[in-house]
Amino acid sequence: MTTTNIEQKVNETWGKPFVDNAKISIRNMDVFYADKQAVFDVNLDIAKHEVIALIGPSGCGKSTFLRCLNRMNDTIPICRVAGDISLDGENIYDTNMDPVLLRARVGMVFQKPNPFPKSVYENVAYGPRLHGLALNRAELDDIVVTSLKKAGLYNEVKDRLHSIATGLSGGQQQRLCIARTIAISPEVILMDEPASALDPIATAIIEELIDELRKNYTIAIVTHSMQQAARVSQRTAYFHLGRIIEVGETSQIFTNPQHELTENYITGRFG
Amino acid sequence: MNVSTLLVTLVALALFSYVFGKQRALSIAKHNRRRLHSIPSYYGYMTALWCGLPALLLLFLWLCFETVVIEQLLIASLPSDIQSLSSGQLSLVLNDLKLLATQDLMDSHTEPMKREAVQYLLSMQATSHSLRTILVLVLAFAGAAWGLSRVIGKTPARIWVEKVVLFFLILSSTVAILTTIGIILSLLFESHRFFGEIPPQDFLFGTKWSPQTALRSDQVGSSGSFGAIPLFLGTLLISSIAMLVAVPIGLMSAIYLSEYASPVFRSIAKPVLEILAGVPTVVYGFFAALTVAPFIRHWGETIGLDVASESALATGLVMGIMIIPFISSLSDDVISVVPQALRDGSYSLGVTQSETIRLVVIPAALPGIIGGILLAFSRAIGETMIVVMAAGLSANLTINPLETVTTVTVQIVTLLTGDQEFDSAKTLAAFALAIMLFISTLILNIIALYIVRQYREEYE
Repeated sequence: MTTTNIEQKVNETWGKPFVDNAKISIRNMDVFYADKQAVFDVNLDIAKHEVIALIGPSGCGKSTFLRCLNRMNDTIPICRVAGDISLDGENIYDTNMDPVLLRARVGMVFQKPNPFPKSVYENVAYGPRLHGLALNRAELDDIVVTSLKKAGLYNEVKDRLHSIATGLSGGQQQRLCIARTIAISPEVILMDEPASALDPIATAIIEELIDELRKNYTIAIVTHSMQQAARVSQRTAYFHLGRIIEVGETSQIFTNPQHELTENYITGRFG
Repeated sequence: MNVSTLLVTLVALALFSYVFGKQRALSIAKHNRRRLHSIPSYYGYMTALWCGLPALLLLFLWLCFETVVIEQLLIASLPSDIQSLSSGQLSLVLNDLKLLATQDLMDSHTEPMKREAVQYLLSMQATSHSLRTILVLVLAFAGAAWGLSRVIGKTPARIWVEKVVLFFLILSSTVAILTTIGIILSLLFESHRFFGEIPPQDFLFGTKWSPQTALRSDQVGSSGSFGAIPLFLGTLLISSIAMLVAVPIGLMSAIYLSEYASPVFRSIAKPVLEILAGVPTVVYGFFAALTVAPFIRHWGETIGLDVASESALATGLVMGIMIIPFISSLSDDVISVVPQALRDGSYSLGVTQSETIRLVVIPAALPGIIGGILLAFSRAIGETMIVVMAAGLSANLTINPLETVTTVTVQIVTLLTGDQEFDSAKTLAAFALAIMLFISTLILNIIALYIVRQYREEYE
């Protein structure tokens, strides 16, 4: 296949972007930063209780795409989103949709662990308290402990729940951020390279955790590590220059990619 | 040659040396470019510095010691009965002689002894001046010659100039430090004299301030009492009112500017706030005295309160307005330093912007904000012009903001303006007050800077 052929084929998405039991549906999504377009005509479904990995070279728009799913890009004044994105059939960019309530349903974990400079306990209790999820201290304690357990962190921090969270190791901080996110019982968790700032052991723990979380949550994860994508996800979407080139079962994408750009990327020819 | 002519001559000589030094270096470089260690102008600088610096130093030292040396020689030449006078009387005689010498006041009535002494003084001064001129110029020429002789290929002129530059940089920074030390020493010295007359405990814990001392021993009713508590309390009262105004307004405007305002609004509002910081305090002073104080008095009368026309409230309010920009710009800086990642983390949990600011941004920025508030507070304590114009002079021991109080700075100004004798407790009290003020603002500043620095380290 020559380069010209590749160029002709990037305008459509190969593979199977749509599913029957969609939690989030994205149709004809374009994202602009001022005049510069960052995401072009993306169509994708994210199924309930699946982990979908978004891979692709740096600057391909996958983080931008992810941040649109809970309207985190609203905080960037020059960012503009066009197209339909719906969560359980509701358009999340509808004027009636409150981004604050949306983010309580679609949580996010960031690339660099960003615990608040408060105690471990206060970090996890922060969200539930503001959303009124606990009626009294005992219920709040329960939410904090459960969330820490779900994030696989409880045993490591149970003796220092009230010491400052920024004193934890990087991996522990990231799991604390995950605990903080699941404490408000979201439906979807977006993860933007959650393990890229961590060492291999902490990464392995996070990956196990993601697999565990799939039972209760729908997860979209941006990653630069193809091994990670292969280990944790059921479906994988390959982004290239703001477009989704190919979507499919993770096993198929990594063993038998249909598009030459996907194959070039996963075999390490560029990216 | 007088000093200024000598200085101009020295500069001219140094300029010539520069040109000669550079020419010499150029002529060496003409034959072989690689023979020179540095580029020619450095040899010029080196020659000029050799010409100018030693001569300048000599001139400086000469000027420092000239008067002292001449005076000692003059004393030695005087008859022994005058030499044995007490130092006070001796200095009177010396002043008399100097006056006669400068003003040419001698006539036939002048005593022969004095006439002789004045002649001697004048001749010594003349000798000193000509000797000074000759020595300085000789040193300048010798320096230039030495510098020129050093213009040879292997002299590292560039490095030499570098060292001289470094020396001047160190010298300049030392000037600032020495000045500070000098100020502190003069304060310490004068307040020591004050505490020799008034016991420190009377000053620090006394509650009556009435700094009138008797000029004559038979004068009545002016025993003078130097209890500084009313002044400290008055200062604290006015500064606290100022902080009550400035902290909420400054902090909230900082939050609005850094978190909510659009870039366009911010680009207009920030400079406007900074203009507020640039208004001379004397303008705030008459604003307080002529506009705010009568307004508050009138308003007080309307609701049946008795407000003094120089109320602490009016002064404090205006001082607060003056301090708003400090608080707002310092807080704005520390709020902007709080990482966006923390805000994102909070937003991603479905938390609103004001909740995020209240629960995440402000707590994270708090040490810096407190540091800024302490800096502003120390400025409020030391503020002088507004209180001189708008606060009263009577040292009332009260915490009622509607009454007149006076502050430490106001009292320092009143004690030291006009003709003063520097040997009474009344004037010396100003130095004791100044040192108290200095110590308290110093402590506040150190705490504030410490807190701010601790905070900066957290995110770097």
